[in-house]
Amino acid sequence: MAQKVTNVSQTEEISSTRRVIAASSVGTLIEWYDFYIFGTLAKIISEQFFPKDNPTAALLATLATFAAGFVIRPFGALFFGRLGDLIGRKYTFLVTLVIMGGSTFAIGLIPGYKTIGFFAPAIVFALRLLQGLALGGEYGGAATYVAEHSPAGQRGFWTSFIQTTATLGLFLALGVILTVRQTLGVETFSDWGWRIPFILSSLLVGVSVFIRMRMSESPMFVKMKKEGKTSANPLAESFKEKDNLKMVLIALLGATAGQGVVWYTGQFYALSFLQNACNVEFVQSNMIISIALLIGTPFFIVFGALSDKIGRKYIMMAGMLIAVLSYGPIYNNMYDTANLKTKNEVAEKTTVETKEAVKGTDTITTTVTKKTFDDGTTYKETKKLTVPLDEAKKAELAANDKLKPETKKEVTLPKSLYYKMIGLVLIQVIFVTMVYGPIAAFLVEIFPTRIRYTSMSLPYHIGNGVFGGLVPLISTRLVEASKEPGYSNPLTNMINSVTGHIGTPSGQADPLAGLMYPILIASVSFVIGMLYISNKTNNMDVE
Amino acid sequence: MSAIKKFFGIVWSIMGVGIIPLVIMQAMKEIAAKPSEENWIFWSIVIVVLMPIISFSLITFGIFALKGEYDVIA
Repeated sequence: MAQKVTNVSQTEEISSTRRVIAASSVGTLIEWYDFYIFGTLAKIISEQFFPKDNPTAALLATLATFAAGFVIRPFGALFFGRLGDLIGRKYTFLVTLVIMGGSTFAIGLIPGYKTIGFFAPAIVFALRLLQGLALGGEYGGAATYVAEHSPAGQRGFWTSFIQTTATLGLFLALGVILTVRQTLGVETFSDWGWRIPFILSSLLVGVSVFIRMRMSESPMFVKMKKEGKTSANPLAESFKEKDNLKMVLIALLGATAGQGVVWYTGQFYALSFLQNACNVEFVQSNMIISIALLIGTPFFIVFGALSDKIGRKYIMMAGMLIAVLSYGPIYNNMYDTANLKTKNEVAEKTTVETKEAVKGTDTITTTVTKKTFDDGTTYKETKKLTVPLDEAKKAELAANDKLKPETKKEVTLPKSLYYKMIGLVLIQVIFVTMVYGPIAAFLVEIFPTRIRYTSMSLPYHIGNGVFGGLVPLISTRLVEASKEPGYSNPLTNMINSVTGHIGTPSGQADPLAGLMYPILIASVSFVIGMLYISNKTNNMDVE
Repeated sequence: MSAIKKFFGIVWSIMGVGIIPLVIMQAMKEIAAKPSEENWIFWSIVIVVLMPIISFSLITFGIFALKGEYDVIA
């Protein structure tokens, strides 16, 4: 009889935990969706709100991209983290959801620059900042809330569902955008259809708010409040008290900084590398990333659960170390897979087509060259030269060396190389799941309940927003810098000496140069993590 | 182990301090060579956002490590 009662109570506990996970994850997923649609539709948003000929608007566009990503998120973490430790987790991450949903919905309704002028970019900029603020508050709340509901010994498993939401949010954003674009057509989508994914957010957020409203407060927070043990000033306690500050620093330097760069490299830099360094065609490159992410996503849960058994530290550190050691060979392999210089052209299949058309005051000459290679790879190069009909303007452009064609290169890989590329990206996604799967459980366990929301949110958002968020910017910059004469990259030199490749000729970009930033940050993080982080899974009872 | 942790405490602190002049000098060199808006934005982000976070956290962390604060970690 006693056994039966225990089983019933265990079943109820699991079912209650599942409800908590589902409700929390859906909300967090929607927040990521909201955050990503802005980034994914950045080009259209830029055309609608941030015209290039207006320098202030263009500057706002840059700031909107970066500020929301890394300046505002840590502020959101501090603001909402404090609130969550003072009034409770449930209401705080309900507020972040409403702010995120409201801002996203509002972006979908703002008239463009042509209608309301400078107000358009200014309002969009403000709303984007609100999005960053809300995201900064959401993650810590969701992770804390789930962890405080989870049974001891299973926190890695249960919190790993929250860890899948960032990837699934990206999927949802891409899925909704592609569906709407497909249904309305490219022209209508660019005109007004892009607003639909933003407006749709209100529906998703409405459902999620309804679900979250019905949830109860975290049992640990309730107990702590009942005992009068809540913190009077979570910010001061988190960052002024030495014992907590040193844990914040170790969480940042030994875990989230390395995790952030590994995450951004595997999920975002890989796409940028495929499109810009390898010139892989737009749809194919997106498919490569999407499939790799889809196959890799369950591993967040695998490594989260495994961290309950063998500890968080070794899984995260192994992820960082393997990433550091293998990024060079993986990216070199990706580059070689799409490198046309290593393939033999089937000359008789090469075609060149040239078209000339007058559009407004310009003559546009488009030359399309198509090549096929013996391994099945196809290459399409489109050169578009715009020449003004006005002779004086034409002479002026020629004098300034501005009469150059826009060149678009597209490499389409055959099936076998396409699968190989998926495999190479998948390996990186696995590193992401190793470092990211257990990190929520690791962060919640190193801070006491009274300041947990505040303390864990800041290192998470600095690690991911600042260290990780800057991967595209710094890596692109490093690739550009590699064109300078006398440039030397130790990573590329090492790979070239092992593989027998001849280095990149002077004046040409070194495609592997961008990896130096994530490798450096992840290496330092690995050393700090190995030396100073404990592998022990901590008890999270109310202190 | 605690001696290694303390030794590395010195390394982190030196890295935290050393990064400041390195970054500023590199920024000045690059902006002077090409004072484009792109350059200004990039280096502003690095100097205003990234560098202070790295320096402050490495220096503070290094001092804590040197003082033996991380000798016993829960």
